Amino acid sequence: MTSRRTKGLRRRAGLALALLAVLASAGADVGIELSAEELDRIASHGPWPLPWSADPGNRVSGNAAAIFLGHGLFFDEALSANGKVACATCHNPARGFQDSRNVAKGLAPGTRNTPGLFNVRHQRWFGWDGAHDNLWSSSLRPILDPGEMGGSAARSARRLKASPALHCHYRAAFGKPAMADDPELLVNLAKGIAAWQETLVSPPAPFDRFRDALARKDASTAAEYPPAARRGLRLFLGRGQCATCHAGPMFSNGEFGDIGIPFFVKPGGVDPGRQGGIKRVQSNPYNLLGAFNDDVTRENATGTRHLRPEHRNFGEFKVPSLRNLRLTAPYMHNGSIASLHDVVRHYSELNEDRLHSDGERILKPLGLTAAESKDLVAFLESLSPTEPISVAVKPMPIRDCLPATRNSRIPAAGR
Amino acid sequence: MNRLPRGTAAGPALAHLIAPLCLALCLPATVLAADPTMPIFDAHIHYSHDAWESTPPKTAIAILRKAGLKRAMVSSSSDDGTQKLYAEAPDLVVPSLRPYRKRGEISSWVRDETVIAHVEERLKKYRYAAIGEFHVYGADADLPVMRRMVQLAKQYKLWLHLHGDSDAVDRVMKQDPDARILWAHSGFDRPDVVRAMLRKHRRLHADLAFRNDHASGGKLDPAWREAFLEFPDRFLVGTDTFTPERWHYIVEHAEWSRGWLSDLPPEIAERIGWRNGEALFASMMAKAP
Repeated sequence: MTSRRTKGLRRRAGLALALLAVLASAGADVGIELSAEELDRIASHGPWPLPWSADPGNRVSGNAAAIFLGHGLFFDEALSANGKVACATCHNPARGFQDSRNVAKGLAPGTRNTPGLFNVRHQRWFGWDGAHDNLWSSSLRPILDPGEMGGSAARSARRLKASPALHCHYRAAFGKPAMADDPELLVNLAKGIAAWQETLVSPPAPFDRFRDALARKDASTAAEYPPAARRGLRLFLGRGQCATCHAGPMFSNGEFGDIGIPFFVKPGGVDPGRQGGIKRVQSNPYNLLGAFNDDVTRENATGTRHLRPEHRNFGEFKVPSLRNLRLTAPYMHNGSIASLHDVVRHYSELNEDRLHSDGERILKPLGLTAAESKDLVAFLESLSPTEPISVAVKPMPIRDCLPATRNSRIPAAGR
Repeated sequence: MNRLPRGTAAGPALAHLIAPLCLALCLPATVLAADPTMPIFDAHIHYSHDAWESTPPKTAIAILRKAGLKRAMVSSSSDDGTQKLYAEAPDLVVPSLRPYRKRGEISSWVRDETVIAHVEERLKKYRYAAIGEFHVYGADADLPVMRRMVQLAKQYKLWLHLHGDSDAVDRVMKQDPDARILWAHSGFDRPDVVRAMLRKHRRLHADLAFRNDHASGGKLDPAWREAFLEFPDRFLVGTDTFTPERWHYIVEHAEWSRGWLSDLPPEIAERIGWRNGEALFASMMAKAP
């Protein structure tokens, strides 16, 4: 214990010295000193990207044929009832796999903001209400939802058979042809789409470079992190208590909260949020407790098994990751907040009466000055990559599914 | 108020020991599940200004009736919401006077002495069963505004619907040992603490609003079951519509309450579900002013 503590103190001291050096070299803005505790907390938000591991509930997770199949299906409008809506219609790669609308619009207008898909492999629950406990189940729902794509098993089977490449990859991934009467067909399609989405990882952002520089005591690189973002980071960790929920490398604890955003849905109804999501995930035949979970140990179903709805869940929505926010405006479950400045204002002027006094105890109006608000926005923006993200590159087909006339080199697809 | 036999000579403490024993021995061996259409007295409803806008009185009353509520004790920021609802359905609404004139006074009201005149004026003008729900913790219960609330409750023979900790309850009871308090959310305290408080203060009652720890999946937590068996006439249920959206949760909350109440002997389920509320509050409104 003593040895570990000593090492910890030495490490903290080293980081603190490194930071002091950074601040000294930063020149004009040396007004901020981060404590050892703050340095530890900064370190907890990395490293990035996280190590990737296959989803035990999806036997084709990481499978090259499934990734090719999933990519093709993700952009395929023929899966929808009117032939005009694909997954990518709302999850636009150019916008962080979001659509910039307040609420999604597939075959019909929806009620919730389209979530971005970067880093989706690392999520625990899927959808704003967490109505899905796995990515493939979450990917299947919009295909079948009459208001989104309105697809079916028969339509999907026809589509696969009409595309020799997709059908070949389906067979390669699942070891059988696509048959409309196969109860696994839709789940397999969704597992393929999930396999592709699992490859969507955003690159490091300015914050990650700052965090890593502190960790390796690289003062010159750390000094490149803008002073406003540093001040915002300190607010984020300290007075704002933002990191309590927006924790870890994903900047989300993966759970749900009520931050006082109204959740009425026209006309005259409400979006029950997590409370409804728990019911839906429990009754979903494609949940991890069901027959389609490929993890025979069912260890990945522990969270689902122990779900218990509570009154507080009514109107709770998922704590979103804060990575890539610059790409995914507008914000909140219903897209009701247009900009990051408005998000910060929401927390600064929080309406406490909308929060139960014994519910979200952590939330208090921050009362930020204009300068502090700008700093917090600068920090949030530093969680997005500065360069355009090139991710929608079509994976190469696997060798056995290549057209006979093509002689291509086979790159490593997937992971 | 406790209809169960009590050892009056031995005092309340012995009565609390006898009550659960009698329940265990006196009830039939086969306990029937509570009626799924059992009425509910919802002791914790708010109808504040944003609720009036989104859910007008007629719609709100329709929700209460759809939930199968026999009665709802309503308090609002401002009190106008309560009066709108009471005017719409005097048979259904039991008004409670919340001292907040608008949202945003939860934390400030107890230090704002202008609240006193407001409450006095409303009490002269309208009929109520209680003052509350208000929020007060610890030593704040001894501040002048809170002391005046206790005096007014005594003067008008009203309940105090108090959202606060056990310290605040103790302080109010010290100011007026005859004060009648409905302890909102049972103080969010553990069942053993709640039982101790109920033993300590015989006029203290407790609502179970916005808490889940007493029941899950329609089954009672053992520690809470003991509390309900010991004090079957001291608990009430409530939804707590602290945001306007939560009006759309009242029906489901009533169903949820019937679910866990069915895990109790029917007589106790009915007491906690609605008979206690009727006996304590509705009867006050029935009397001539």
